[in-house]
This record gives sequence, C-alpha cells and structure tokens, in this order.
Amino acid sequence: MVFSYNWLQSFFKKKLPNPKKLAEILTMHFMEVEEVEKEGKDWVLDIDILPSRGGDCFSHLGVARECQALTNSKLKIQDSKLVEAQELKTKDLIKIEIKNKEDCPRYTARVITDIRVGPSPKWLQQRLKICGLQPINNVVDIANYMMLETGQPLHAFDFGKIEGEIPNFPGRQKADSPEGCFPISKKNPNSLLGRQAGKFQIKKIIIRRAKKEEKITTLDEKKYTLDEKIIVIADTKDPVAIAGTKGGKKAEIDRNTKIILLESANFNSHLISRASRQLNLKTDASWRFEHNLDPNLTEMAINRAAYLIQKIANGKVARGLVDIYPKKTLAKRVSLDLNYIKSLLGVEVSKKQILTILKSLGFKILDSNFKVQNSNFRAERGNKVLRAAGSNFRAERGNKVLRAAGSNFRAERGNKVLRAAGSYILVEIPTFRQDILLQEDLIEEIGRTYGFQKIKPILPLAFLIPSKRNEDIFWQDFTKDILKEAGFSEVYNYSFLGEKEKRIFGFKKELEELKNPVSIELEYLRPSLIPILLRNVAENLKYFKEIKIFELGKVFLKSKITKEKRMLTGVMAACSFYEAKGIIDSFLNKLGISNIWYDEYEPSYEEGKWPIWHPKKCAEIKVGLNELGFLGEISPRILLELKILQKVIAFDFDFEKLQKECSEEHEYQPISRYPAAVRDVAVLVPGFTKVEEVLNRINSAGGKLIRDVDLFDFYEGKEVPQGKRNLAFHIIFQAEDRTLTTREIDEIQQKIIKNLEEDPEWKVRR
Amino acid sequence: MNLKSTKNQTKKEIEKAKSLSDLDNIFKKYLGKKGLLRTEFLKIKKLSKKEKIRIGKELNTLRVFLQKEIAKKAKEFRRKELSKQEKEEEFDITLPGKKIEFGHLHPLTLVQREIAGIFQSMGFEVVEGPEIETEWYNFDALNIPEDHPARVALSLGKTFYLKGGGLMRTHTSCAQIHYMEKNNPPLRIIVPGKVFRAEATDASHETNFYQIEGLMVGRDVSAANFKAVIQKFLEEFFKTSIKIKLRPSYFPFTEPSFELDMKCTVCAGKGCSACKYSGWIELLGAGMVHPNVLKNGGLNPKNWQGFAFGMSLDRLTMMKYKINDIRLFHSGDLRFLKQF
Repeated sequence: MVFSYNWLQSFFKKKLPNPKKLAEILTMHFMEVEEVEKEGKDWVLDIDILPSRGGDCFSHLGVARECQALTNSKLKIQDSKLVEAQELKTKDLIKIEIKNKEDCPRYTARVITDIRVGPSPKWLQQRLKICGLQPINNVVDIANYMMLETGQPLHAFDFGKIEGEIPNFPGRQKADSPEGCFPISKKNPNSLLGRQAGKFQIKKIIIRRAKKEEKITTLDEKKYTLDEKIIVIADTKDPVAIAGTKGGKKAEIDRNTKIILLESANFNSHLISRASRQLNLKTDASWRFEHNLDPNLTEMAINRAAYLIQKIANGKVARGLVDIYPKKTLAKRVSLDLNYIKSLLGVEVSKKQILTILKSLGFKILDSNFKVQNSNFRAERGNKVLRAAGSNFRAERGNKVLRAAGSNFRAERGNKVLRAAGSYILVEIPTFRQDILLQEDLIEEIGRTYGFQKIKPILPLAFLIPSKRNEDIFWQDFTKDILKEAGFSEVYNYSFLGEKEKRIFGFKKELEELKNPVSIELEYLRPSLIPILLRNVAENLKYFKEIKIFELGKVFLKSKITKEKRMLTGVMAACSFYEAKGIIDSFLNKLGISNIWYDEYEPSYEEGKWPIWHPKKCAEIKVGLNELGFLGEISPRILLELKILQKVIAFDFDFEKLQKECSEEHEYQPISRYPAAVRDVAVLVPGFTKVEEVLNRINSAGGKLIRDVDLFDFYEGKEVPQGKRNLAFHIIFQAEDRTLTTREIDEIQQKIIKNLEEDPEWKVRR
Repeated sequence: MNLKSTKNQTKKEIEKAKSLSDLDNIFKKYLGKKGLLRTEFLKIKKLSKKEKIRIGKELNTLRVFLQKEIAKKAKEFRRKELSKQEKEEEFDITLPGKKIEFGHLHPLTLVQREIAGIFQSMGFEVVEGPEIETEWYNFDALNIPEDHPARVALSLGKTFYLKGGGLMRTHTSCAQIHYMEKNNPPLRIIVPGKVFRAEATDASHETNFYQIEGLMVGRDVSAANFKAVIQKFLEEFFKTSIKIKLRPSYFPFTEPSFELDMKCTVCAGKGCSACKYSGWIELLGAGMVHPNVLKNGGLNPKNWQGFAFGMSLDRLTMMKYKINDIRLFHSGDLRFLKQF
C-alpha cells in the first residue's frame, strides 16, 4: 500500500526522519518499504503491509503509530470538534436494523443535511491522488480520505434516495420527536423541512443477507447477482450497497444531493472476503474488512468524517450517533514473562526498555510487577530446562552457575534469583491490535522494535550427537551416483501431464486430476515417469545422438485416496536392449543385489490393451519372486506418436521395492593366486532357445571350477542353417586352491559338451 | 696381450665412437665371434690350470667391463637420438581431445546434497514428507485457519487441489508437523522437497519447485541461535564471510517472524544486477515456531521452543550457478543438464 510522507508527518509536531531514512527504519523494524519516490512536494512510500497488520495498518494512522514507536515522536490528536445541529436528531431520521449480529458487529450512522456537493479542496485531492485514488466530489472524497487515514471504510448514501417506511403510529411519533416525523416532498425529496401535510416517512437501513438472485447495480454501473451468502445494506425495498464492498447506484451521491446518510460499520471479515471472491469484486473497502478491522474504530472515523464534511461541504450534522453495537469488543489482557522474552529472542532487553516499547506502540501496562498464580504460565521455564538433563545436573556457563536438584530447585544467574513474581508484566492490548493474542506476539513487537538486527548470533547449546542417517535419501543418492557413473544424466520433470499423454499412453482410471490446473498440458498427476522422459528424448534428439537420462521421483496412482510412489526410471536412445540389460546388471550389482533374474513380461489385461512396452522385448526384473521393475523397449506405436524415429529402451523400478533389496554389505573376495584358463565353446541351437538355458547347462556341468561364462558371439543368418542360432562362449576355469591341469580342464570341457548335446537339436561346433 | 692396455684402449675407442654403428664395430672387434677376447679365451686353454684361472678371471672382468661400457655409450646415443627426435617432431596440441561421456546429476540434486551435508554436520537430520497433503497438514496445523488472509492467499490462488481429495503441498513446512508427531525433542531437522503452486510461470516462478525447510526445537532455542546457525550455514555454502540482515516479517506459523537478507556476494553490497542494485538479496523466511504449531505437532509449547526457516532450493541453485531462468530446471534439456 502507498503512503504519503507529508500525511504521516502531519500526525507529528516533531520532524520525522527524511523519507529515505524513515523507509529504512520502517523496513528494519516494521515492514518492507519497497519503494520511496518523490511526487511533487511529497514523497510516496510503498509499504508491503503483511496480512497480520491489515487490521490497523492499511491506514496512515496505523503507520504513524509505528513511526511514533520507532522515531520516539509523539502522535498529535486529530481534529474532530463536531458541532451537532440541535434541532435534528439522527435517530428520528433513520432506523437501523441488523438482521444478524454476527454479520455486522457494529453499525454507526450519521445524517448530515444542507450539504453542498462540489469538488474537494486541493490539498485533499492531492492526498487522495498520491495514494492512488481519484477525487470524485467532496462527500465521497472525505469518506475515502477517512479510510486512508484511519483504515475504516465509510460510505455515504443520498438520504433522499433511500426508501423508508411510514410509521405505524404517527401519533406516537408526533409526541416523541416531532422534528423526526417529517413529510417528504415529492418535488423535492431532499428537503427535510417540506412539512407538507400527509405522510411521514422514516428512512430505514437493513443489514441483511441478499436474497437468492437478488440484483444490484453498483456505482460503476455494473450489475451483480447476489445470493444468501452476501451481506447487503438495504432500504425497505432494495439493496443500496454490497456491504463492505461497494455502494449501489440507487443511493448514489450526486450534484443535487443535499442530505446524506454516512455509514461507518464493521462487517464479518470472512463473509466480506468470500463475497468479494465470489463476485470477483475486490475494493479498497473489502480488502480492509477482510483483514479484521477493529469495531471500535467506526465511531472515531465517522465523527472525524462528519467534522470534515461540516467543514468542507458545509453540512449540518444531526444530533447523536446511531450506534448499533450489541457486543462490545473489549481490550484483551496478556501476561508477559520477561524471562521468556530473553529466552526466545536470545538477548537481554531491559525491563525499562520493554515497557517503553510497549507503551509507544499503544499497549497499556496494567501491572509491571505482575504476580502469576496460574501454573499454566511459563513461570518455571528455567527449572524445566535444567531438570530435563537429569537430577544431578550442574552446568556452568561462564560465570553463571545453574543448579537443579530435584524439588529444591534454585536457579542463580549471576546474582539474580529468578522467581515467578516480578518477572511478569500484565499488558492490555488495544482493540486496534487484533493480531496480538499471545505473549509470543508481544515478544515479536518488542523484538522488532528493539531491532532483530541487534540480536547477536549465539551458537546453540545442543547435544553433540551425529544426525541419524536417512536411509531413503542415502539410497536415493547411492543409486543416482551409480547411474551417473554409468553415463546417465539426471532430469527433473513436472509431476503433471496432460491430455496428450493420457491419450498416447492410454491412461485411464489410475489418473488423478487437478481441480484447478494451470493449463491443459498440466492437468493430471503423472502415474508414471516414462511419458515425460520420452518427451525429453524427443526434444533432446534434436541435439544429441545418444541419450541416457533418468529421473527419481514420485508418481501418483489414483485409488480411494491417491497414493504416491517413488519410481526410478531411465530411458536410452541409441542403445540396444542387451546393452541396457548389461547396465541394469551392473547397476543392481553395485547396489548389492546379486540374485536377480529376468522374467518374461506378461502384460495385465488392462496393460495389454494399450501397452507402453514392446510385447516381446520386455522383461520383468525380479529378485526371487519379488518384482522390482521392468526393462524393455518402448512400443514402436508409442514412439510413432511422439515422433521418435529410433528405438528407445527404458527401465522402470519401483524404488521402494528396489531399496528394500539394496545392501551395503560387501565382502572382499580373495583374488585366486592360481592362473585361470579360458576355453571356448560354440553351440548351434534352435532359434527359440534362450541363452539362459545354454548357460544353465554349461554351469551345471562345470560346477564350481567355472569362474565365469561370457557370451561373446551370437549369430543368426546366412552362415548357419535356417531357424538356428549360433552361440559362442568363453568359459573361464579357475580353482582357488591349485593350478588346474590341462587334463582336468579338458575333462570338464568334455562334460560340458556332453551336457549341451544331450538335447538332440543342439550341436556343439568343433 | 696386455689386458691392462687393452682395457685402456677399448675405453678410448668407446669414448671416441660417434654413432651406434661405431659401437657395433667395437663390439665386433672385441666381443664378436671372431673378436679379440674370444681369441684370447681360446688361447688360455693351453695354459696351466693356475694360469688358466688367473687369466680367465681377468679376461672375464674385461669382458664385463666392455659390455657395460658399450651399453652405457649405446644408451647415451639413444638418449641423444630420442631427444633429437623429440625436438624435431611436429605436434599440434590444439587438435581436439577425444571426449568421454560422463553422466550428470541435476544441479538441484547437487545443491540439495551440499546443503544437507552442511546441516548434517551440525547435527540436523534430513527428513522427507509426502507431496500430497491434507488441508490439515498444509494449512490448519501450521496455524493458517480457514478464512485467514494467508490461507485465502495461498489456498485459493495458489494451491493445486485434487479431484479425489487432498492437495499438492505448497510448502515443505507440513513435514515439520509429521516429524514432531513421531519424534521427541530436542529436534534438529531439515526437509528438502518438491512443492507446488498454481502460478503463471516466468523466469523466476514455477509451478513445481523445491524448498528446504529447517527446524530446531529445544528447551531454550532462541532467535540468537537461529542467527548463528544460519550464518554458519551460509558461510559454508557460499564459502565466504557473509553479512546477514534480519528484519520483521509475517508468517502464520512463526512468531516472531523474520525475513533474512544477505549482503550480495556478487558485488559485496555495492549494487549489481544480481541484487537488483539494492546490495542485499532476500534469501529466506524464518521465525520462532508458533506455539500453536508446536501444539499441533503434539509438543507442549510451555516446555519447548525453537526456530524454523524455509528457503527455495531453486533460488540458491540459481545463485550458485548463475542460472537466470528457473524453468530450465524442469526443461529436461541436456544442453543445460550436461553442464553440471
């Protein structure tokens, strides 16, 4: 909100620090001044008033109060010497009815007659302009001016345009208040004194909920359709204003207005806030009401406004204030523990200074030596600190000896014996500070006024214990590092995806949807990391031939409550299935998972209808019966949709399952001192035979003297008979306790060959 | 044959040799199949046993001497030859090297690890929390009741709600409550994590971004303690001495609340584009944990107090690497990612 420097200055006799300096003080002790700019002879301060202080500081008065505390100046009392017209009583002119006191805790009103509507004086116009408001006419301008000064929004209605009712008992009214029961001249509705014979009318204002579909045209000629959640100010027929938000066209002040009804009220902040959102109508008034204004403010504001109208627009103010205030807001009291101030801020602020600060901010000290009886207060804070550490605890901090010995507790800090009595003060919170509820709130007031900047850093006293390792994060880091070593780059993608992915990947009921997406591309929660990783591939293929990327992140699967699950997913372009399989083998090995195997992928019925994976080139990665994830080629049909013209291999791990299998245990395997011998074997097998089967036969025949078997050639094609494949292996023999003799090796080799050829269709090539 | 004079002569000859072929000739002359020494060895066969041993020994000594000297000289020639070669060889070191393909971790991962490492060294445990939250954990438990202006600002404008119920957390602060519920103080934690805000994106705003939350709760943890801890952290992170400024702010979950500014490390406070010519950089929000938050986490605020802070991981990463657009983090662009 913008503030006028000259206006702030007008609250003080003493000169305020210069605008730049003042801005700096306010920033360091109150709220951030975002900009200071010269405008004519004045300066504009743009202060970022945070919501906690909206109740009192969306006003020059509120900020002036801060200036009082921060610059050691004294606020002047603002002029409001109202002269009321004796012959007119407000309550005879107007009747106010609040339908629901929760909606409107207070309604104050005045009637001012004989007004001369015209332009405002220059000084007033200037102040409004500097604060970003357009001058309209003196009456409206004064209402706005008062809002900027006090924070209390006011509204002026053309009295003549408000419908009233004919009193039921004219006789009684005649007796009670003859001046009040006056006829309204049809020719001149603004005239109060046109006492023509006939009907007496008393104006009526009702604060009520709007009716369903009730309509109002506001001052700016806009039409709004209201409902029961919205409070309106109405006369006997129509709404004349959306309460606390905007005035209606019906009772607008115009050039001919002679009599006004001035409203200064307090409305339920939640209802105003909701109405303003519902109607998408945010005004200076609604914004202030949303922030919980002090109901006690209305009276001061209306009196000062009436005073100014009288002075500037030549009005006559009817006698008395109509004030409907069924439940008065009273000042709260908070007891403040001086030891707690020190403990929470970590700095010693003297009691004298504390009292000065609180008083300068408008708090009242009711008792500066308050005795706390209630054990709920923090009287025994000090004791607790020490007792926690055991009964025989004794701590020395510099010169301070702190002792705690069970129930005979006695605390000494220097020479001061800390006791509950005397270390408390009782503070009365002015009602304009509705944000102050607890002593912590007061400590903030003391801290900021004293200066957070003046608090010296002190390293905490804490137990010297190492932080517990977070296993989840440890394994996340561990796996990321391995993939990095394997040449993968890590990407972070949005957790959201859109309609396009939904269509291409055939996601259905597992997809959770955002109620309020920012765009249709970011409408669903991702149920898999694969879609966006593939989009990354498509985009990066413009610049790179080889791509190896991975992401470790959460996916979301809709069920009764949407579940989140951490996945580790990688995609590779320019990489074969087997290369990828090799990477996965080494990767899992590094994670300490050895007994993995690859099972044929069997898509579930749902998946089968719209598979991500190539149906043949996909494996389930398993440890025992536990399925950790998938490795496979992305279905070419999907790649076609994404305009990726080459094969893409992906792996997709359920990270939580993977993590359970990970192990840090690792034991050194002694390197055999005896030489290894390598023999090759090539075998021609039918095309459908899996390498795994061949390996199994080699291993079962070779036993533990085989250290390793490597497939080094795999061939299908011209050189071998149709429907056959040639597999060639290096077999590495090694014993741990001796050098194997040629005879020994030959014997095992023969056994292996025999074992392989047990299947009549298999032929070892010699 | 006088062995002594032969020795002297050969020595001279070796010294005089000008090339490897000269040496070769010397070798042939003395040690070759028909060389002098060979002939001498043949001669001693005829001598008495005693003489045989004596002269044989001397001849052997000479042979070893010759071999050594020739080898030494040969090595000298080779060395000269090589250094000549080295000098004469043309080589262009400006030809490009052959690249190897490393993998790369995301810059946010790198910075998160660094931050976590610093706090862990000060005894802070690293904790995570769920990304889908309830209104209770995201708002109410953090002292942001319904219809509170802060709730209105965050909840209606900026929170992603799920059709099936729940919301995407708008800050990592929710994890404070989860942790307090399950652990007894004293507490020291940091919570890194992904958070979500429904915002229009630009170079400094994202819908998906990362935060790091910190919490320390003890019997007498103070604002002064916060200043010291955060100062240490910043000095470790930026690897230089740091000036901080603590000014009042407002967060519903802390009381008092602070905004922490750091003197710009780029211009040392003189004003530059990094600090928008203010000399200071707004770094993080912090404060003393609000008693209601402690209560909602199951702790008794009469016994426990502490500080909490939250900062944007994206922002610290952008500062560290001088990244000018937050959207790069989620771009998946390898031209960006491969720089880290």
